[in-house]
Amino acid sequence: MLDSRLIGLIVVFAPLSILSFGGGQAIVADIQYQTVEVHKWLTNSEFVDMFALSRAAPGPSTLISALIGWQVDGFPGALVAALAMYVPSSVVVYAAASWWQRSQASPLRIAIERGLAPVAIGLIFAGVVAVVQAAKMDWLGMVTLAACTAILYFTKFSSYRLLFIVGAVYGALLYSGLLGAG
Amino acid sequence: MPPDTPAKTPDTAPQHVPILELLGVFLKLGILAIGGGVQAFMYRDLVEVKRWIDDKAYLTGLAIAQVLPGANPVNLALYFGLKLHGGLGATAAVLGMVVPAFCIILIMGYTYRQLAQFPATHFILLGVASVGVAATLSQGIKISQRIDRDWVTIGMALVTFAAVGVARLPMVPVVLVVVPASILLFYVMERRRAR
Repeated sequence: MLDSRLIGLIVVFAPLSILSFGGGQAIVADIQYQTVEVHKWLTNSEFVDMFALSRAAPGPSTLISALIGWQVDGFPGALVAALAMYVPSSVVVYAAASWWQRSQASPLRIAIERGLAPVAIGLIFAGVVAVVQAAKMDWLGMVTLAACTAILYFTKFSSYRLLFIVGAVYGALLYSGLLGAG
Repeated sequence: MPPDTPAKTPDTAPQHVPILELLGVFLKLGILAIGGGVQAFMYRDLVEVKRWIDDKAYLTGLAIAQVLPGANPVNLALYFGLKLHGGLGATAAVLGMVVPAFCIILIMGYTYRQLAQFPATHFILLGVASVGVAATLSQGIKISQRIDRDWVTIGMALVTFAAVGVARLPMVPVVLVVVPASILLFYVMERRRAR
């Protein structure tokens, strides 16, 4: 049924799925190594393009697996690679989540709940710092960030509508010639 | 959290919200939450707009989704889908999150070479990314204001932020140290209070 290329995709992505502690960031380097160096499914610059795309697209960045799968074997490749990326980790999370949600109130459960909360908060703010640094935000980015944070903090304005307004304003600024494409 | 619930039933027991409404929320997230703020958009939808989940339960889910393997948005969808409508809810949430995004990324892959020629693509994406960061920041501030103010919570949040956000240490080893330490401290405190 499955040809060798599809099996290759499963062999690459399924183990990475289980190893992707902390999300997609943790396995990007290994995806690059496996698909470019080992299997030679794509060149390094193709990989970089796909990585950029996976950040710009909606949804999880690990959808880069679908792009690579498409490159390897068209639509079946994309489907198989995405399934190999999500099914193994989802089985683990499903088992853990249903056990957790069924467990009874106990001192240990309360301790786990209270112990996890500060870690999640610390990671939320660490995520803000990481993106601000990675995007090399200029003054316009900082002003946008401050304005949007204030809107989302103080009002019930739809976050999706804000997303599109900012995209449209940036597009208008660019085409009106007020700002260069930096 | 209502004062009568926590001792009797775990606040995470399935709630059975309408399944189509649940699917709608996650479809919207899967299609529109671009720019890296997926979990902050999810917080706004589930906690602030729909009020299906409270801050505490959201933070627990967020931490579990981050600690376990897998893409965080998918893990979060699975966790809250399960909590809000059992196995069917988990399936609907994950499919809602992944299927549209899967189609969109393939279309983008197909048209990327044309799009990449326009400098506007990169510029507009930067603007969109600022909204994602803003959503994350405002969520962080709000949650920090509502969470318990004991010294262990504040200390552990600061340690995690300093290690990952300032010192840029890799997240996984940091979490592997901080999570057990934090749980142990709270466990000792709970035990003491019980006595």
